[in-house]
Amino acid sequence: MATPVEMPKLGNTVEDCLIARWNKRPGEAVAAGELLAEIETDKATFEVTAPLDGTLLEVFFNQGELVPVFTYICVIGEPGESVEPFRPSRAGQPAAAGPAEPPAPRQAAAAPAAQTAQAAAPPPGAVFYSPRARRFAERHGFYPAPAAGSGPGGRVLEADLRRQFHETSRTSFLAGRLVESGQEVRGEGSGLNRMVLARDLAPPPVRLSGVREKIARRMRDSLAATAQDTLHTSAAAAGLLALRARVKAARRQKPLADITIGDMVMFCAVKALVEMPELNAELIDGSLYRHASVHIGFACDTPRGLLVPVVRDAHRRSLGELSERAGELARAAVEGTIQADDLAGATFTVSNLGSFGIESFTPLLNPPQVAILGVDAIGLKPVRRDGKVEFEACIGLSLTLDHQVIDGAPGARFLKRVRERIEEIEEICGLEL
Amino acid sequence: MESGMYDLIVIGAGPGGYEAAAHAGRLGKRVAVIEKQYVGGTCLNAGCIPTKTFLRSSRLLAECRNAAAFGVRVPAAELDMPAVIARKDRVVATLTRGVEGLLKRTGVEVVRGTARLVSRSEVRVDGRPYTARNILIATGSRPSVPPIPGIQSSRVLDSTSVLSLPEIPARLAIIGGGYIGLEFAGFFAAAGTETTVIEVLPRIASGCDADISARLLQALRKSGVRFLTSCAVAAVDGNTVHYRDENGAAASLCADYVLNATGRVPVLENLGLEEVGVDFTRRGIRTSDQGKTNVAGVWACGDVTGRRLLAHAAAREGIVAVNNMFGKPDRIRYEAVPSVIYTHPEVAGVGRTEEELKAEGIAYRKSLAPMALAGRFLVENEAGMGVVKVLAGEKYGEILGVHAMGDLSSEFIVAAAAMIETEMCAADVAQLVFPHPTVSEAMKEAILQLAH
Repeated sequence: MATPVEMPKLGNTVEDCLIARWNKRPGEAVAAGELLAEIETDKATFEVTAPLDGTLLEVFFNQGELVPVFTYICVIGEPGESVEPFRPSRAGQPAAAGPAEPPAPRQAAAAPAAQTAQAAAPPPGAVFYSPRARRFAERHGFYPAPAAGSGPGGRVLEADLRRQFHETSRTSFLAGRLVESGQEVRGEGSGLNRMVLARDLAPPPVRLSGVREKIARRMRDSLAATAQDTLHTSAAAAGLLALRARVKAARRQKPLADITIGDMVMFCAVKALVEMPELNAELIDGSLYRHASVHIGFACDTPRGLLVPVVRDAHRRSLGELSERAGELARAAVEGTIQADDLAGATFTVSNLGSFGIESFTPLLNPPQVAILGVDAIGLKPVRRDGKVEFEACIGLSLTLDHQVIDGAPGARFLKRVRERIEEIEEICGLEL
Repeated sequence: MESGMYDLIVIGAGPGGYEAAAHAGRLGKRVAVIEKQYVGGTCLNAGCIPTKTFLRSSRLLAECRNAAAFGVRVPAAELDMPAVIARKDRVVATLTRGVEGLLKRTGVEVVRGTARLVSRSEVRVDGRPYTARNILIATGSRPSVPPIPGIQSSRVLDSTSVLSLPEIPARLAIIGGGYIGLEFAGFFAAAGTETTVIEVLPRIASGCDADISARLLQALRKSGVRFLTSCAVAAVDGNTVHYRDENGAAASLCADYVLNATGRVPVLENLGLEEVGVDFTRRGIRTSDQGKTNVAGVWACGDVTGRRLLAHAAAREGIVAVNNMFGKPDRIRYEAVPSVIYTHPEVAGVGRTEEELKAEGIAYRKSLAPMALAGRFLVENEAGMGVVKVLAGEKYGEILGVHAMGDLSSEFIVAAAAMIETEMCAADVAQLVFPHPTVSEAMKEAILQLAH
């Protein structure tokens, strides 16, 4: 005999319950005590079990529908028996063939609000929301970060959302304006009732500029594709300092490039490269290209980030010419007017951090170049001379080489050459001051 | 009930201590509050409340004298000091019963005696041991006695003993132009005393916004108080006060009484703080914004912390400490704690002063509106002075400070405090409805001048 199953009354104040999920489809056999459906109030979910053995003949409501208590929701009996006597008197909607997934929520009164909310945020995906919770989320445009709810299997219930909605920090009037202008909420609000105040905000992360992103990629690639080894030494700087003093003095009398210590070291590096072209080379796809011409790149700190302008044919330039060209390029780099051609094609690079007082560092290679010279600060160093200890001004040098193709010894020999050129700078510079 | 452990023992039944104890009691905790002198503390017995009863009487006196301006004829009004004191005692008694009733209702045990910490969980009250999971120190403060020769003389009163003065002195010298000195100056000047305030700083009410303190000086001078600013008291000799004037020259002043109103210092002595290792300086016990001291389980609130010596700050600090000790995170936000000086005219302020904004380098805009913009102010005050100053952020117009002088400003300053708590901007205030006619409309005017 066909037996209807009704929506139970789960509490004194419960007027209707929602069908959260059908566990059986019409036509399926059910045993007494077996789970038919999960239903929920706004606070909890409950189970409706079969009162007897039989076949589920018909379900009268879809998942997601709100059903008044004591209303028949389905009928169990023998196949062929009529269910019509039990069909609820409402606008005779036959039940769908089976559980519809996802459930089609009944269009509530707040339909326009629900639609805009839906447009603004996608329905929650990662965590399963109960239909009531889903409806609450849509109506309030409220989609908190996914977290397990208190329902069966971590399902988020409406009550979970209501509690979260209440606890979600609101923003103060000022903080609201600041959020609109791009600031972001970090952590919990520190104001009344956890209101987010201005001091709980922080500036949004800054997207890397194109130049910065390029630098970042080059730096990563440099470390990933080469075998970097850095050698440190120092050279007596008396000659550099004397020459610098003479340049300064001479500039008061006549027009002359402002030749810096960095220019002088770069000049010495060029001289050494001409003598040891194996470091004036590029490693490309397993082949080493040695260059007769020295195109020297120098690291330049600009408002847009690190740029490396290139002085072409440096080996053909006098110290004055080298300095003048480097000065022009540096100015253009800082002003942002430098040509792309002047930022490419270096065969060797010099990076000077001496003016910041850096005593030694490990410059990163500019692949496919095989070496880069770091110029450090000038400092005093104790030197034993005639049985006495004296202090001597010395400039630090840090050479990074690609150990794939340059071994330590040739690198050290090159560094020794640079040192010698620095110490004899006054003789080799050819400046008439 | 001396056996067993309390959830909380509060030392001191002033506004910090009794509010905290009652709050913990409402949470169902077993609480004792230890009090050596009087329930209600300084606020109720020798501070806020008694002085306000005095000031109400002196204001009524001033109003009677000025009654003709309001179309009321009052024959010679005069102050009856014993009756003023009797009324004060009645008000205090009523309120004390109220506090006792509150403690009883919330199940708080009141233990009479002097408490001393023995450990982080034990207190001895006149030798009897009491143990608790939490101890809240709320011992308050007392009038400070600066190292001035002769300050101990019998002619020198402090803010407590002056409340029992049976007669109105002919001449009174008040050392200190802070809120305590100013409130008494207003009272005695209205009562007919030749009142002189000696202040070491160039301005009075030094915590106030400078614009307000300058106007208050003007208003109080007009009501008959004499001010000697930038003057340092060197000695008190009987009823003569010797001081150095603003040019450093020696000068003196004769008075029947001298009131020492140089401020208040925390009560830290004989509490066992050193033994238990509680961190403190002579300015107070160090606490976090949660009310914690450096010793776990030992908390402090109110004047004894030396933070904001105000009854309402103490009460909030006490409740914050209780919330934290029983697992509900809470903190006090000092930037929105209002302060009031009950002179005539009243001064009320909340948030930062213009001087503080300058010192912190915060860009701001300001507006200054006369209270006479509000019809009610004219109705109430006739020729009284009043002004509202508002300071708001340069870019967004968020309310940073509201400082008012003028009667009844103490009653609406809480609205400004709420605006600061919720970081309202001047433009948002346009959405609030201010009742008409009230003095608070002057504040609305001043704020809306900064809305854009």
